[in-house]
Amino acid sequence: MTDAPGSDEAPGAGGPAPLAPGVSAALRDAYRSEWARVVATLIRVTGDWDVAEEAAAGAFERAAQAWPRDGVPRTPGAWLTTAARNLALDRLRRRGVERGKVLEWMAMQELEGHGDGPPDPADVVAEPSPEWDDRLRLVFTCAHPALPMESRVALTLRTVGGLETGEIARAFLVPEPTMGQRISRAKRKIRNAAIPYRVPTPDLLPERLDGVLAVLYLIANEGYLASHGDALQRLDLAAEAIRLTRLVVALLPDADEARALLAMMLLQHARSAARVDAAGDLVPLPEQDRSRWDAAEIAEGLALLDGGTAGAGDAPPGPYRLQAEIQAAHAVARSADETDWAAIAARYDALAMLADSPFVALNRAIARGLAFGARHGLDDLALLEASGRLEGYHLLPAAQADLLRRLGEADAAAARYRDAIALAPTAPERRFLERRLAELGPTHPAD
Amino acid sequence: MEYALFYAEGADALPYVPEQDNVGEWVDEVEARGVSEYGERLRPEQDATTVRVRGGEVLVVDGPFTESKESIGGFDVIEASDLDEAIEVASKHPVASFGRVEIRPFVRWPDAEPGSRVVPAGFADRSAAGSRYLMLVVAEPGGERGAVDGSTPEDDDPEAWVREMDGRGVRQFGEVLRPPADATFVQRRHGEVLVTDGGFAEAKEWVAGFDLIEVRDLAEAIEVAAKHPMARGGAIELRPLWPFDVHEDPLVREAREGADRFRRLEPPAAEALAGAAL
Repeated sequence: MTDAPGSDEAPGAGGPAPLAPGVSAALRDAYRSEWARVVATLIRVTGDWDVAEEAAAGAFERAAQAWPRDGVPRTPGAWLTTAARNLALDRLRRRGVERGKVLEWMAMQELEGHGDGPPDPADVVAEPSPEWDDRLRLVFTCAHPALPMESRVALTLRTVGGLETGEIARAFLVPEPTMGQRISRAKRKIRNAAIPYRVPTPDLLPERLDGVLAVLYLIANEGYLASHGDALQRLDLAAEAIRLTRLVVALLPDADEARALLAMMLLQHARSAARVDAAGDLVPLPEQDRSRWDAAEIAEGLALLDGGTAGAGDAPPGPYRLQAEIQAAHAVARSADETDWAAIAARYDALAMLADSPFVALNRAIARGLAFGARHGLDDLALLEASGRLEGYHLLPAAQADLLRRLGEADAAAARYRDAIALAPTAPERRFLERRLAELGPTHPAD
Repeated sequence: MEYALFYAEGADALPYVPEQDNVGEWVDEVEARGVSEYGERLRPEQDATTVRVRGGEVLVVDGPFTESKESIGGFDVIEASDLDEAIEVASKHPVASFGRVEIRPFVRWPDAEPGSRVVPAGFADRSAAGSRYLMLVVAEPGGERGAVDGSTPEDDDPEAWVREMDGRGVRQFGEVLRPPADATFVQRRHGEVLVTDGGFAEAKEWVAGFDLIEVRDLAEAIEVAAKHPMARGGAIELRPLWPFDVHEDPLVREAREGADRFRRLEPPAAEALAGAAL
């Protein structure tokens, strides 16, 4: 899914004249950067998500034919938007007598209201602001709370990210028809329930932005630690989450939590090359080769945190800032031993105050174990285990095993590793736990 | 765009606190804004009557159509610019704070006149000549279809039912609802508005539409319901309206209605069925 359909699979790419490399790259770049803008504008103008997507796809098809012949236009986005407008206009005209004609007639009015007729793609110059707003509308509409969360994620990847339905289906390991139904159901609900296509009013903006960030966070999480399958991380999804969050940060530069979320993603992503070994197995943080961390991404992540507006008021840091600061503490440590675990534990304390999450409690216990002694952590983990809230989650026995190992209690550690192995969802995590178990030595047979 | 708001009580609802019932203010606000078209409270679910037609026989059951823990306690039809406005209106209704509000859009038929309304203009001010019932049309997968009981295609035509009942002056207004997949739930908890996707996809039965009817008594209501094609393919739940003064002190109302909930005002279903002579 790293390859946009605008490149290899672009309609027209297999046509008679092979694309010059420069044009092919321009098409791919345009697809990545302009898909959302074209779709967003067309949705506003036509009010019809399907017409908008078909017209946008058609515009890229036309570009694949025209650009090799005429050269890449100065403003590819404007060229594509205009081409898509013309295609949408044709389509609405052809459907002019079908149902919903009033709405479409209004759309045609707006389409034709641009001067004396639909503009010619060649005449168009960039007009930055309206499309910018359209994209923001698109982001908020795709993440509307009246849509089920799984549909919000899929629709955002499809409509804002421009990913093909099949790519999204493969990323989340569901059959393509299932993902297709999920996306079309979401679009139907947007139309039938009249979910507005707009940026929420200022009173709604904070809570609705939370919803948008939650969608991006989910995409990033699935990329960072896949919930199923054989691969530990899905770098394509992680990269997509970063790209989409960059867009939101660019659109809402004052949203500190959006900046913090982007920082968190970058700081995590910076470690991705060092997180797996040649065999695809997990390399835990203390064993990672820190020279393989991406210095540019770390610098950008740290800068985003410094440049935030959190210090401006007395508002306590939000959940994404706290998580980003935890990642930052890892990123600035020159070695695992130099990690400021007390600072990390303090962030988890604050996170635990914000949300009563068993996952936060788990991480807090580990951080406290490393900051103040393994026994502290084990006590916290025992309480968490007794609560039953992480029943069946492999990282709870894995964390207990690790702290027991640090205390030299090999038998107890081995038992917990076996529990964790039985529960681990991906093969790389299973292999990592098995390696740890083996490292304890041969004197600890299964019960 | 018009939406039906259904007020759901029961299930995970919080206890009703009369002191927090500001429904009078809510009604004043939505009427002042021109959002409200028509709304009613429904008599409690023990006063519901469910009508099915199976194998040509009218089956009348005392109670609501489903064993679900939630029941609809009232409804409003509102005119909102989009779902966000409908959510805002729903979130301010007191039931959002102790129960939840389901927002359902209406189906708009392809040949619907632009600007036509589910609720006829001025209906809220029209006084009732008979007993009014909300007739909930319930879709029930697995219900038998026409032909099985020897009915004619005309019997399967909801339009024919609408024409007949409009002609008799029984049907006041009504409309088909969009399926549960297009529904949205709104709750207010601890001052926060919770919006969730509302499709009970797994539920076997759901409200597919409603009509407001005005009849002499329950017997006529059952006769009208039994003629609706969906009585064969699903079920029809009849709920008497419960007129009330929105500006009445909620404490007084709660005390009075507490007593009222234990007695029925309508004739029992068996008696009504005998009267229906079907």
